[in-house]
Amino acid sequence: MIAAVSNTVRYKIKHQTRYRYSEPVAICQNQLRMMPRTMSHMLARIESHQVDVLITPEPDIVEQHEDYFGNLVYTFAIESLHRELSVTIDSDVSIHCDPYPKSEPSVRWEDVVRGVSDASDDRWLEVQEYCFDSPRIRRSQRFADYALASFTANRDMIEATLDLTRRINHDFKYDTTATDVSTTTEKAFDLKAGVCQDFAHVQIAGLRSIGLPARYISGYLHTVPGPGQQRLVGADESHAWVSVYMGPHLGWIDVDPTNACRCGTSHIPICLGRDYNEVSPMRGVVLGGGKPQLQVSVDVEVLSES
Amino acid sequence: MESNPTLSRDAPFSQYRWGGKGFDEYRRQDGQVRDAWKPIAGFLDSLGAQGIQARAEEADRLVHQSAANFHIDRKDAPARPWKLSTIPLVISPAESQVLESGLGQRVRVLEAVLADLLGPQRLIKERVLPAELLSANPTYARTYHELPATSPRRLHLTATDLSRNHDGTWWVTGDRTRAPSGLGFALENRIIITRALPQLIRQSNVHRLARFFVSLQEHLASIAPRQRDNPRVAILSPGPRSYRYFEDAYLARYLGYTLVQGRDLAVRRGRLNVKTLGGLLPLEVLWRKISDQKCDPLELEPDSTEGATGLLQTIRSGAVAVANDIGSTLAQMPALLPFLPAAARFLFSEELALPSVATYWCGGQKERTYVLQHLDDLVIRPAFVITGAAPTVPASLSLAGREELVAAINANPHQYVAQSRPSRSVTPVWYDQQLQPWHVALRSFQLQTAASVEVLPGGLARVSPESEPLDQSPTSGRLGLDCWVIGEHPVDTETTLLPPAGETIRLTRGGDELPSRVAENLFWFGRYFERAESIARLLRTTMTRLAGENELVDMPDVPRLIAALAAVGQLDPDYAIKEFEKALPTLETVLPESVFDAAQQRGLLASLTNMMNNASAVRDRISLDGYRILTRIDDELQDAETFASRDMTATIDRVNRLIPAMLAFAGLASESMTRTHAWRFLELGRRIERAWQTAELLAATLVDVIADEQQLLESVLRTRDSLMTYRVRYLHQLQPAAVIDLLITDNTNPRSIIFQLQRIDELIVELPGDATEAGLDQDEKLAKDLLHQVQMPDPFALSRVGEQRTRGELKRLLEFLIARLPQLSDAISARYLIHTAGVQALTGRLHSHGFPKK
Repeated sequence: MIAAVSNTVRYKIKHQTRYRYSEPVAICQNQLRMMPRTMSHMLARIESHQVDVLITPEPDIVEQHEDYFGNLVYTFAIESLHRELSVTIDSDVSIHCDPYPKSEPSVRWEDVVRGVSDASDDRWLEVQEYCFDSPRIRRSQRFADYALASFTANRDMIEATLDLTRRINHDFKYDTTATDVSTTTEKAFDLKAGVCQDFAHVQIAGLRSIGLPARYISGYLHTVPGPGQQRLVGADESHAWVSVYMGPHLGWIDVDPTNACRCGTSHIPICLGRDYNEVSPMRGVVLGGGKPQLQVSVDVEVLSES
Repeated sequence: MESNPTLSRDAPFSQYRWGGKGFDEYRRQDGQVRDAWKPIAGFLDSLGAQGIQARAEEADRLVHQSAANFHIDRKDAPARPWKLSTIPLVISPAESQVLESGLGQRVRVLEAVLADLLGPQRLIKERVLPAELLSANPTYARTYHELPATSPRRLHLTATDLSRNHDGTWWVTGDRTRAPSGLGFALENRIIITRALPQLIRQSNVHRLARFFVSLQEHLASIAPRQRDNPRVAILSPGPRSYRYFEDAYLARYLGYTLVQGRDLAVRRGRLNVKTLGGLLPLEVLWRKISDQKCDPLELEPDSTEGATGLLQTIRSGAVAVANDIGSTLAQMPALLPFLPAAARFLFSEELALPSVATYWCGGQKERTYVLQHLDDLVIRPAFVITGAAPTVPASLSLAGREELVAAINANPHQYVAQSRPSRSVTPVWYDQQLQPWHVALRSFQLQTAASVEVLPGGLARVSPESEPLDQSPTSGRLGLDCWVIGEHPVDTETTLLPPAGETIRLTRGGDELPSRVAENLFWFGRYFERAESIARLLRTTMTRLAGENELVDMPDVPRLIAALAAVGQLDPDYAIKEFEKALPTLETVLPESVFDAAQQRGLLASLTNMMNNASAVRDRISLDGYRILTRIDDELQDAETFASRDMTATIDRVNRLIPAMLAFAGLASESMTRTHAWRFLELGRRIERAWQTAELLAATLVDVIADEQQLLESVLRTRDSLMTYRVRYLHQLQPAAVIDLLITDNTNPRSIIFQLQRIDELIVELPGDATEAGLDQDEKLAKDLLHQVQMPDPFALSRVGEQRTRGELKRLLEFLIARLPQLSDAISARYLIHTAGVQALTGRLHSHGFPKK
């Protein structure tokens, strides 16, 4: 289901979120982390050409800033009574992905751990904070034991990481009813089920528990329809995966435990953070509203490939 | 207490000696009294033990009066952590200079460290501070980086905890850079000691505190983004459940700031506002007393109700100044202490003047090894957060407990620090009618302005007979002391923010600026106040009747009074009223018991409790005299729970004391409260409740006619405090029509129902009108309708007895009143008071994981 790797793909993305409320909302205050930005921190590079944000009703207050991680944050408030809220983000981005080198230098995973823990790694300062607990992820012996089955002595860093990625994909059931947005990483680990958020949290917990820096990436995944099928509008998903630090030469490499693969041009990263809490695409507080009904659609369309 | 003849001749200070280890605040090593103490000790000795005891009792009384013991939750949350002892801690001019420059330097260093951690992080890049102080720190929200510094500083008011080593040097035991508590108590201590020892403090060249508070006001005004000449400043308090609330209210009143809680705040049009009856009023400066993480549920802790949604965005856009800056909690982490000297060298090439108590952060390998080898000499604390909990003392642990601790430290070394016990000096404390040498902990306060650091010439001292309890937490210790910094020369006595002595009646600050929450508390305060008074009167009438007669046949009115007590909620409603005729003795037990029964939710005790809770939530709105009276009522109530004698005579006495206290408060409210909206809501609550109570009483007593009504009519009049008026008018002829007229339709009687309804009608008209939504004038319609219904009937028609010996018209009117008065109360609530509808969170995710569901 993953698109074949090509060097550069340009996408048009439409992410629509619509709330319908049973009671009027007096005020709504929101933060969006849905806007792509140009960044190159891995073998892939994303370039943001244009982003349009359309919100109805028109917000009374709009503010944009960059957060600690460099993500673009769009803050808005609507202060008149409304019964419906619609947020549409239209973006135009390119993903450049260098083909995987024929022979990547082999790095022992223990060396990555050591370089970070004794600060001999040049990028120590930048990566060390992804080794510790974060709001949703607590390191523990259980997670370490699970990860160590892949990270055997002297194993190659990429190989071990991909093995862990595949094991999570194998051991965990993709089940949209098993967990919700606030499910703890421990609970998802017990259930051996969940969605991309849970898969990513579990893998990050495992990596950090053995001393490796790992972070959470939110974004989109472009899928290719089967032969003879129209690609369904809205079928593409708001997605999440993991970025793992592999030492100063390889840097950050992204892997997707939900799909048991290494990320390429089909993965469109939008925001990064230590876990879901720091990148949640929409965060808001409304006054009133009764029972809200929500509709979400994400549409990822390829504009060009080269 | 009887005076003790041996006490009176003593000169306690000349006999006071301390022979133990540790620094003696009072005497030098050669036995001479320290210079700064000499005149003070001399004066106090001249008072003698008896004189000092008298001042101590005066101070106790003043503490009590200033409502320091005005409990919020009665048992759980005393307003003050410590009682106040009369004799101050004395700091000499030379020592205060050392402290002032040392503390000034420390604030500069902490400010620079904080600015670096939230900025370029040079201290971490250059390995002056371990990176884990941030990356392993659960209180370090990355959001703090997204906020600009309140120009040009982040730390405004800070505190430093100090102890004095045996050689007399001051050591820092902890820093408070977030929202230090205690400044209000330091101020209150000074005000009380000034009243207890006025002459001594005048002649001792004691530095005044007022200058510091003037600087604080000037500084907070100077950081306002606009309106710097007169900005609106609010203190954001965690609310009455917090031990901080009393001093927050105290400071708000002293400094003239608005006291708010999270639900008083609203961010609109990019500004932070306080919600008031008159609408939203923008705030320029917010002095927050809540934790960093709770400041904004949108960007920080989502469950917090203590902050304001959208606050961070208003900070980013520069619309409001928040002190101390959000993120300043990072400068107070205990794990920073061991690295501060190196940071001072790195940032300023300076040595820290004030050393910190020996602290070892277990995140370092060497330090951890040392700590595990010296566990018995150390105490263990969390590395990143300051809690009120006592530190772990390994020396006192069992073997198993110790192993558990070692395992915990090894599993998460970054999360722990170990500290030596500080050595603490000893100062004379007046306790148990004599001078005792007790250990002392001092909290100093600093204000950092754009130009300099000002140190409060004084502080909050805590004392305890043993040193260890003072290490537990910033609120531990047996007693509090004022701290006197002595000047070389006579000090400035002009500056004061205090109102002149005797000022007491300022109850509100303005009309429309009344926060809706405060209006709500005052409204309910009024309702419970009136309910308590009405029930107390009804109980008194009933019990007095029972106490005066022997046979129930002589008291045909009593069953009706019992029915009234059941109707208003004092007695269980399904109490079998008929049974009383056979069970007179039970009544004599049941009534006094009911006075002390907290389970009756609408009963006297519950009403008084609710009244006090509402009063304590609006502390800053009630005058000192008002407090005094409420404290007295509260004392009756406190006492009631342990009150042994529950016979009827004793209970009548108790109720007899309660009623005049309540009248005193009502008189104060009527005579001393300015006619602002605050007063109107209090009045509305009282008038609605009084009308309702009267209607219930009349419905229970006069609707179904008993054979001989004379005594009942008299009891009803007595209960509504109208017997005297009746007698003056009609002498002894008790006629139902005249009684009904006096209590319902006579608009000259302040106890009649129509009088209440006329007042309600007038009060509602005076409330702020903002008729932008349909149905807003529901309260006005209801009030006018009620008034109209009561103006119409003729007292004779109301008193007419119809079928089944029932007064039909009276019944219809009273039932109407009993149904509509609560509706009126609800309508007023809906229009003015309920201002926070349900809040919910949006995640933008379908069954919360982001996949569209088909």
